Amino acid sequence: MKPPMHVAKENEVASIGLPRVPKQDEQTAVLKKLDDLRSSMRSLMVMLENCTKCGNCAKQCHSYLGTEDYHNFPAARADLMRRIYKRYFTWTGRTFGRFFGADDFDADTLSKWLTYFYQCNECRRCAKFCPFGIDTAEVTIAARHILSEIGIMPKFMQGIAVNMNKTGNNMGIPQPAIVDCAEFMEDEMREETGLDIKIPIDKPNSDILYIPSSADFFTNVDTMIGAAKLFHYLGVNWTIPSTVLEAANFGLLFNLNVMREHNQRLKAAATAVGAKLVIQGECGHGWRAAKAYTDGCSAPVSFEIVHILDYCDQHLGKLPLKKLPLRATLHDPCNYARAGEIVEQPRRIMRACVENFVEMTPNRDENFCCGGGSGILMDEMMEIRMKLGKKKAEQVIALGKLDYLAMPCSICKAQIPVVMKYYGVDDLMMGGVMDLVGKAMILGEA
Amino acid sequence: MLYFVGQIFPYIAAAVFLVGMIWRVWTWLNVPVPFGLTLSPAPRTLTGKAAAFGRELALFRSLWSGDRGLWLAAWLMHVSLFMVIGGHIVGISTLGNEFTAIGLTSEQSQRVSGIMAVASGLLLFFTLTVLLYRRTAIPEVKRLSDPADYFDLMLILAVVVSGLHMRLTSIEVDIAAVRAYMGGILSFQPVPIPNEWIFISHFFLVNLLLLYFPFSKLVHLAGSMVNQAMLIASPPVYPSSMKVDSSRVQSNVQIWRGGSQQ
Amino acid sequence: MSMVEINGQQIEIDEDGFIVDPAVWNEGLVSYFAKQEEVPELTEDHWKVINYLRQYFKQFGIAPMIRKLCKDTGFTLKEIYELFPSGPAKGACKLAGLPKPTGCV
Repeated sequence: MKPPMHVAKENEVASIGLPRVPKQDEQTAVLKKLDDLRSSMRSLMVMLENCTKCGNCAKQCHSYLGTEDYHNFPAARADLMRRIYKRYFTWTGRTFGRFFGADDFDADTLSKWLTYFYQCNECRRCAKFCPFGIDTAEVTIAARHILSEIGIMPKFMQGIAVNMNKTGNNMGIPQPAIVDCAEFMEDEMREETGLDIKIPIDKPNSDILYIPSSADFFTNVDTMIGAAKLFHYLGVNWTIPSTVLEAANFGLLFNLNVMREHNQRLKAAATAVGAKLVIQGECGHGWRAAKAYTDGCSAPVSFEIVHILDYCDQHLGKLPLKKLPLRATLHDPCNYARAGEIVEQPRRIMRACVENFVEMTPNRDENFCCGGGSGILMDEMMEIRMKLGKKKAEQVIALGKLDYLAMPCSICKAQIPVVMKYYGVDDLMMGGVMDLVGKAMILGEA
Repeated sequence: MLYFVGQIFPYIAAAVFLVGMIWRVWTWLNVPVPFGLTLSPAPRTLTGKAAAFGRELALFRSLWSGDRGLWLAAWLMHVSLFMVIGGHIVGISTLGNEFTAIGLTSEQSQRVSGIMAVASGLLLFFTLTVLLYRRTAIPEVKRLSDPADYFDLMLILAVVVSGLHMRLTSIEVDIAAVRAYMGGILSFQPVPIPNEWIFISHFFLVNLLLLYFPFSKLVHLAGSMVNQAMLIASPPVYPSSMKVDSSRVQSNVQIWRGGSQQ
Repeated sequence: MSMVEINGQQIEIDEDGFIVDPAVWNEGLVSYFAKQEEVPELTEDHWKVINYLRQYFKQFGIAPMIRKLCKDTGFTLKEIYELFPSGPAKGACKLAGLPKPTGCV
């Protein structure tokens, strides 16, 4: 089976410290990693041992609904690992084999893992509906971690790892370019408002450390501008670290050691400027990594961690907002709604910023993923990505004519516009929630 | 042979069941949770957590919000199973006189007890059959199913059928004799098993089920609770309190980097 | 990765058809990449964008923000898409010999 993405070459994986294990040693290495993980990650062990195969998750998974590929049905996806796990780590599997759903590790095992664990968006919708609380994302995270530890990963992930090593952000934006981008955005805001609104980079002694998404310094400029206007209006002492221009933590999406390193980088940046408050920008899985994983990676930390939408919502009453004449809806990023408790905040903000806010169905913690989650943004997987985004497109189309689709997560911002265009909707503005705040806020003479 | 089935095997089955289940749960709880996996919105208070846990355990809430048809079959199956097990304990220990406590005569109580037993048993039989049918009728579930998935259902069905057999046919099983026998087992002074082949088969199958239980997916009884506890755990709070769970940090550091490199 | 011969020169390109080493880029290669990106004819407007990207990349080692590219070249985003059908991040960068922007784009 040929995986649908470009796979990183041996020299490429070696360059990020995850050398490829020789073919003949793969099985031993994988089983060793699996053994390590099962004895250090309770969720993995319990979730592999407790599926009753009721099949309830099939109808809840956008990946299966969109691709109609059996192995994208969450229980079947997890079974790719479960069958190996049973065969080598349970008595019944070793003794009775297939009777108990155990299979030998074979030549196809890892290519199947690579193919299907990278068609899971780790959106956790299956966990929401599983009567036993089985979270397939945990299995996916483990499978991707094992694969990357033996040097198998998509080229896309490897490229991001290179950038993160070099610059601390996914896009590989070096410090001088960050400063240049900030100055450009300051100019833009000056032209618009006549005010001197700063985007301070690496300013020592800052109370607040803002961690944007590096995509805000490339494509999603308005999200950054919205946040800068908010901080300006509130008159707070804030800065952006050039060492961590990235709320995203792609380590969570392919290798947990890389995840830990990036998380510790965040702690170092906050400590360096003496920040008491770290505010995470519009990034879904990055918010999960910061909120749920900092404890296990970098504890103890001496700062508070909040999300920009939570922070904005706390100050919503004081902001000079004028409602924009838009019919707008919100796509809940999975990691906000199911892993990060950012649910009502963006709704309150949007209601304050637009005249007509409508809900798509289902929403909040039952929302469907955009289909790009967990970093499945490779161009070569475009066809699959469009299938993964099918449910989302249907949800948006069902709302009729819209002016604005808010999706406060950089992966969603990269995925959904392509999906909507593919399914025939291109007369629609799309962007973040902070974008709306920036546009609805009346500052200066404008 | 009857001596083994009646006076030895029950102890083996019960011991394997108890030790096996404790062992399974212990192997799970013994593994750390390096990173929280709270599924939001998560309850914050103890009452809230108890309520969420209870809704899941007693009402299968997740399943209800997903597939109502499966919910109905699965929930009724578990409820009738619960009633059957409860009915055995109460009915046998009081010889069907449990309802005298609410003012019925002994005869009325035995009749009500009998009707409830048959009704629960039939419901259990019916819902198990639906689940078995469903497993073969839905293509992706059929493909997902292993022989063990059918075996589990059929083993329980066999227990149910042998049990119903004693209620619905003319074969009379003396409940008093069963009570005496069970009393002997429970007081570790086993007496010979009542020599009625249908009772012996039923009892043997139950023991087989107990023996099999800890090695099968039936452990989801305990596993689902371990999972739920992780999903409703409170998310971490920052700044971290001074008391950091050092065992968590330690195990984490060792396994992710140190352990896996060696 | 593979090698392609363009104007008698061996050039290494990656799986997405981007030049691997931006330093070996020269103007003679552009027409090859233009064909790959379905740009039928290279006009002055194309060169304006390409030269801007080259110059920014030389100074900062990365592609400029899309909005800055538009502002400094005077093209709207729509016009850039007309010039380079797969967009500024993919098509234009490929012709200008910049590495493919990666991350959430």
